Order: sequence, then structure tokens, then C-alpha cells
Amino acid sequence: MMRAADPTPAAGLPRANDDVATLTFDAALAALRDVVERLEAGGLPLEESVDCYERGVALHERCAALLEQAELRLRRLAETTGSGVAVAVPFEDEDDRG
Amino acid sequence: MRFDEFLAAGAADPGGRRSPAGPRVLSVSDVTRTIRDVVRSVPTLADVWVEGEVGSVSVSAAGHAFLTLRDDRTQLRAVIFRDVRLSLPFEPMTGHRIVAHGRIDLYEQQGAYQLYVDAIQPAGFGDLAIRFEQLKARLAAEGLFEVARKRPLPRWPQRIGVVTSPTGAVLHDIVKVLGRRWPLVTLVLSPTLVQGPGAPAAIVEALTRIGRWRDPADGQGVDLVIVARGGGSLEDLWSFNDEAVVRAIASHPQPTIVGVGHETDTTLAEFAADVRAATPSVAAELAVPSRDEQAREIAILARRLAGAASAQVAAGAAALDAQRRSLDGYRPALVVAHERERAGALLDRGAAAIALRLAEARREATAEGTRLWAAAGPVLAERASMLAAARASLEALGPLATLQRGYAIVRGGDGHVLTDPTAAPAGSPLRIRLAGGSLDARSEGVRDSRP
Repeated sequence: MMRAADPTPAAGLPRANDDVATLTFDAALAALRDVVERLEAGGLPLEESVDCYERGVALHERCAALLEQAELRLRRLAETTGSGVAVAVPFEDEDDRG
Repeated sequence: MRFDEFLAAGAADPGGRRSPAGPRVLSVSDVTRTIRDVVRSVPTLADVWVEGEVGSVSVSAAGHAFLTLRDDRTQLRAVIFRDVRLSLPFEPMTGHRIVAHGRIDLYEQQGAYQLYVDAIQPAGFGDLAIRFEQLKARLAAEGLFEVARKRPLPRWPQRIGVVTSPTGAVLHDIVKVLGRRWPLVTLVLSPTLVQGPGAPAAIVEALTRIGRWRDPADGQGVDLVIVARGGGSLEDLWSFNDEAVVRAIASHPQPTIVGVGHETDTTLAEFAADVRAATPSVAAELAVPSRDEQAREIAILARRLAGAASAQVAAGAAALDAQRRSLDGYRPALVVAHERERAGALLDRGAAAIALRLAEARREATAEGTRLWAAAGPVLAERASMLAAARASLEALGPLATLQRGYAIVRGGDGHVLTDPTAAPAGSPLRIRLAGGSLDARSEGVRDSRP
């Protein structure tokens, strides 16, 4: 619990924040806003403040990574024979190649 | 009689069929010019709408079109100069029934009157306009275009359906805008014809398919649908006034944005859409949040996060200071003063280092915006461990030294240092800290208390 005294605190984000990597942008943004507001409200023990802060950093990194690294995915509906159910197959916008 | 014989005969007979002296003989040019002046003096011929079927059409090397307009009894020559022709909504072809606007004038070299065209429309355009207004009134009466029906667009779409032609600039424009503005989505194209006789049915089918489609990964459909088409003539865009298309858009299960690039009147499909966009690119803009705006938003949150964290650390330091002072009460003033000086110096040094790192972090936040935070994580961790070290040093320096001389620190069951006996009535658990370790004890009762 005394994470603050851990001699290797910078080794990586605590495992508790692993879920952040799977959040959508809007979910991560909402969580980040919540963390900031909790921290701003004050009154948290030091350890909890640190947890809060680290979660905030992880959430921020998730948001920033999504904004910077996301690539538009393209799908095109193609009808499967008979059933009439459309399935989406990947395609590329021709003009954007090369 | 041949012409030359006639001339010879005439020459031999001066009193014969020579022109009398009175009536004036006109040249061909004179006649033509006279007719031209007559034609030009009639206002209705200078500004005329002519309806007819296009007969022969030829386009000269210079790009001018020469054609005939005809009805069942007669025909009229017409010319469309290159610049006019290139601005026409469609190219008139043999068999088209058109209404042409222009002026009647004489082509003097050929002595022919003709229509100099400056605008054309398909014949029956008037009927089309009437049908459009009738359909619009009928659908409006049904409430299809009511503002109250309009659904808001989802703020954070994951999948965006696009109903348009799989080839051409429209899809490319939409891909470009989404890729730049908000590439966190999946675009799902539902390809369709967008013009020609089969287009309305194809558009309705494409809408149906995208409406029913579910991502096998999570069973979710698209969050909204963009229906788009590039600019075109009134005829080209007519599919978007088709009743079946308009109804399919109005009743689509997901919110719709219709973006049709055109300069003519709004199509009924646009009236029926939840959101109407001026062009396909604008439709894509409206469909998603802005990456730049969101980057600014998270940068602001990041700065607030750092500010709040530093405030918390400052509060922690203050609490530590208070605790130290509460211990001071047990120790001789001189020792306390000495120790406070040493501990204070240590704590101040830690606090100064923290403040410095925080100031650096803030500067980075301002300068680098979103990139700060990878760097700030270790800064905080370091800061926190410095604070813990400062606390440990303070404890070692302060109470422990005092305890060596026989003092003890008594804490209540909740871990708080006891200063008031009434806080530990009989039976209360106590923890007594001595220099060599701790004792668990229990209060036998309050002996006396100073009010």
C-alpha cells in the first residue's frame, strides 16, 4: 500500500490501470475528467492521491495515443449470396494509396 | 433561255425587261439587312422561350453547337456558342425535347434566321417542378420534415455508415475528412448508384443494408449514416427527390446526414435527413468530433491533474508538519528547536526540490501540451518518495531520539496520538511506543484530566 515508498516506483504504471488500454476515447476522457475532479476536491490520503494521479496520467496517455495514432478503418458492405445478409469487408480508398 | 442568251437579248432590246427607272434595285445584303432590322425590332424575338425536339446536332471544331429544333410542322435553326454550351446543365442530343431560351437573329452570311441559345431546360421541367412541390407538400403534411422528428447525432460515433457511389470523388472526400478530423472511427461503405433510372431503388436498398448491418465483433450497428452525392444537374440529383428514397431516409433506424453538393434547390432527401450538409465533406465534418479540440481538452485536463496533485502534496507536507509539532510538546524546548532546525532544513530541501520539479512540469505542460505526461509520471513518483524519505528522517530525528530518554508515545485504538486522557476511557486499547519497540496495552480508567 505504501507505493510512495516503493524504491522503483517509475518501473511502470501499476497493474490497476491495465484496463485503461482498452477504453474508448470518450470513456477514457470521462474517466480522466472524474480523476481530475476527485483530485481537485482534495482531502485524499497521499497514497490515494498518487494512485489517482497515476491513473490520470494513464488515462491521459490513452487519450493522447488514440488521437495521435488512430487510423481510419474502411469497410465495405458486400452481400453474401443467398442469405441477403450484408457483411463488411476491408477496402482501401484507392486515391490514398502511395 | 440561258442566262448568257438572256443577257445578250436584253442588251439588244433596251426597251424590254430592263428595270424601270423608278423602283430601286436592292442588293442581297440590303434585303438581308432589312430583314435583320425588322427581326431585331420585335421585342418578343429578342427574349424568347422555344420548345421543340432536337433534330440534327453538330459541334464545330471551335466547340460551338449547331442544331435544329423542330415540331411536327417546321424547324428552327439554333446555335449554342461554346462558352454557353459548356455551362449548360446537359448536352442537347437528337431526340431530346427541350425548352431553349435566347434571341432570334439573322446570320447574314447565309441569310438565315436562327435562335442564339443562352439557356436550355428539359421540356416538361415545369411538370417536374409541379410534381416536386406536390410531393413536398404531401410529405410535409405527413410530418416527415418536422424539426421535432430530427434526431441528435451521437457525440462519439464508433462506426459511420456511408451510402454513396463506391467510385468517384465523394467517397474519397469523406475518407479524407474523417482521416484528418477523427480517425478513431470505422467507415462502413454501403455502395450504391446515385443517378440514373435505377438509382432510387439502389439507394433505398443500400440504406436498408447499412441499417441492418451488425459488426460481428460486438453486435453493434453503425451509429449514424451519411448519404452523399457530388454536385450535378437537376436531373442528376432527381433520385434525392424520389418518394421512396425520402421515406427511407426519414425512417432510417440510425440518425442520418444528407450531403448533396449542388446549387439548385434543396432536395427532399435533405429535408427528411436529421442533419443537412452543404457538401459530402461537410457531412463528414458534422459526423465526428474534432481531433484538435479534443487534444486541447485533454491538455487542459492534464494541467489540472498536475495542479491538483501538487496541491495534494503540499497538503501532505502541511499535515506532516502539524504532526511534528504535536510531538514537539513532549520534548524539551532546546532539543526541539535544534531538531526542528535539522528536520526543517531536510523537509525544506525536499519541498524545494518538489516545487522545482513541479514548476518544470508546468512549464513543460505549457510548452509541449500533450506530450508532457510521459515525463511527468516519474516526476511525481520521485516527489512522493522524497516526501516519504523526509517523513522517515523526521521520525528518526524527532521522537526516537526523545524516546531514548524514557519518553513514550501513547496512541489510541484509532492510531492517533493521545494527549487527552478522556479520549481513552476504561477498556480502550492503547499502543505505547518506546524507544525499543511497541507495547499493546489497555486503559484502566481516567485518573484525572485537566479541563
